[in-house]
Amino acid sequence: MPNDEPQGFLGRFLADQLAPGRAKAWRNAFLAILAVIAVLGVVIPNHHPHFGFDAYPFFWPIFGLGVGLVLIFVVKKIIQPLIKRPEDHYGDL
Amino acid sequence: MATSSFYHPALAFLMMAVALPFLPGNRRWKWLLLLPPIAAIYGAFGNAFGDHLTIGWLGLSLKLGHVDPLSRIFCQVFAVMSLAGIIYSLHVNDKAQHMAALLYVTGGFGCLLAGDYLTLFVFWELMSIGSTFLVMLNRTRESVLAAFRYFLYHVAGGLLLLAGLLLRYQITGSFDFGPIDPAGATYADWLILSGFCVNAAVVPLHAWLPDAYPRGTVTGSVFMCAYTTKTAVYVLARAFPGWEILAIAGTIMAIYGVVYASMENNARRILSYHIVSQVGYMVAGIGVGTYVTLNGASAHAYAHILYKGLLFMGAGAVLYAAGTQKLDELGGLASRLPWVMVFYMVAALSISGMPLFNGFVSKTMTIAGAAEAHRTFVALGLELAAVGTFISVGLKLPYFAFWGGKAPDPKRELKPIPANMYVGMAFLAILCLAQGLFPQILYRYLPYQEAVHEFVPWTAWNVIQASMLLGFSGLAFYVMRKVIEPHKALNLDFDWFYRLIGRAVLFVVCRPIAAIDDVWTVVWDKIGLRVLKALGWLTSWFDRKAIDGVVDGSALGVKGLGTIGALAQNGRLQHYLGLMVVLGLLIFAFFWYGL
Repeated sequence: MPNDEPQGFLGRFLADQLAPGRAKAWRNAFLAILAVIAVLGVVIPNHHPHFGFDAYPFFWPIFGLGVGLVLIFVVKKIIQPLIKRPEDHYGDL
Repeated sequence: MATSSFYHPALAFLMMAVALPFLPGNRRWKWLLLLPPIAAIYGAFGNAFGDHLTIGWLGLSLKLGHVDPLSRIFCQVFAVMSLAGIIYSLHVNDKAQHMAALLYVTGGFGCLLAGDYLTLFVFWELMSIGSTFLVMLNRTRESVLAAFRYFLYHVAGGLLLLAGLLLRYQITGSFDFGPIDPAGATYADWLILSGFCVNAAVVPLHAWLPDAYPRGTVTGSVFMCAYTTKTAVYVLARAFPGWEILAIAGTIMAIYGVVYASMENNARRILSYHIVSQVGYMVAGIGVGTYVTLNGASAHAYAHILYKGLLFMGAGAVLYAAGTQKLDELGGLASRLPWVMVFYMVAALSISGMPLFNGFVSKTMTIAGAAEAHRTFVALGLELAAVGTFISVGLKLPYFAFWGGKAPDPKRELKPIPANMYVGMAFLAILCLAQGLFPQILYRYLPYQEAVHEFVPWTAWNVIQASMLLGFSGLAFYVMRKVIEPHKALNLDFDWFYRLIGRAVLFVVCRPIAAIDDVWTVVWDKIGLRVLKALGWLTSWFDRKAIDGVVDGSALGVKGLGTIGALAQNGRLQHYLGLMVVLGLLIFAFFWYGL
């Protein structure tokens, strides 16, 4: 099989997911799953919080989302502009 | 296996490395490469505890086969990984690459089973040599330069270790390799710790790793990502458990690695920074030093070797097929390399600590142990790093390599990936899943069995907590995916300082020392040489006048005596009798008056 085409049933399945509307469906499914696990995080008790403040509802969703947003912003918008150089800065390439 | 039996897992690797150049070139020799890993697995799982292969040398007792629960678990995963790595590299025809890998693995096993510092040092250096060639044999200019830097750096680290172990011997009178009490630490112990920290890629001594590993051969980096840092983790766990500085250093490493990984464009450099981050979990666990965190460090080293090897295999397969590892040049490969994507994602979810995969049963043990030990900032720092891990390795790398909002590009030529590479990836993917689903496969070999029951990974809350953490991290990535998009760039790291030190040494040699040398040459020419010439003339004069005078005088004296003797022998008997009488009187007078 020429390798410029989708490879096997898995390749065809993955190629199909790029069809219009599929990406939106995947996004909606992802958000629905997030909602379910956030609710489960409230329903299922945390008998043994590690830090104390992680006993509050929605701590971990807020932690994951907040840290993720801040990390990406700080890294890409503050740190990288300061330390970014051309790829061959050291003349090794 | 009998309880006293022992097979050193390094033996067949060393023998194969030596024999390989002499094997005929019909490529059937490749199948022999599978024998050392199989023998190593046999030894690693079957060796009895105790000291084996103890040899005397210069009055010292060298222990080449120290087996205990800690060395056993590391030996096991090293052996399993060696099999996966060899399978993955079976298509490589270059014997030099295989020899370098075999020697490198030999060094790794030698370090794990070393019962004394001297043995450890020998194998430690063997690892450095083997791994240098795994980078160099990529045979590009940047690889050769990176290999040279790598070797220089590891020589420096090795010298720290050598200085430390010799000074320690002077202080303690022993090369024994065991736990060191931080309260009684000497400067020699700190030197040894520094040498270990170089190989563990402890920030700021880490920059050799993201410099060298992305430039290694496709297969060589798979080996390197597994052995060097984990050997360092092992020696830290053996010698420095409970050292507070390691708890702090490990937490910094965990966060530092994900920060840089989030910036990077080069796939294997992203993974390299994640080695720094993941080894940070282990170093932190060793530093906290409870049985749970020490178990967590060992478990995470085990899991990490499997999933990190698989990550490097996946990224290496993309590089092999597409000819580039830069994310901005990739994208749209999911349907054309579907199984590479699947295997990569198994590893990516494992490193992220997703339930079902092995990172979930190992990473969480260290974090929980740190929290139980009331090390809130350590535990929270590791949780923070987990978010960054999932974003950079679990989402960013695969998204921009396999999708990236790009449709498959049929014009991109993809080199077919050999079947053995798929087999190697499948092997590790199965192990990552198996350990995640059945943690007892891993837990039964943890070094501190008395603490294993203190952590249970598969509880409803642990699953939900991990899902919330990773799920909402994923949401952050989805929101910020345009911001995190990688671009071509070099991000300055501590190697800027290393190069600065190198340039400073070069400057000192080229300028002040060269200038001093110039002045000294003139001074020597004007003064030193003249003094030497004068001394030479004086010596020559003394030789002529004194030495030659004495020698010549003696010769002349002997000649004169000879002449007199010849004159005395005139054949006249009366002269002889007269001389005898005179000589007899002289001798008589000598004894009569002289004594």
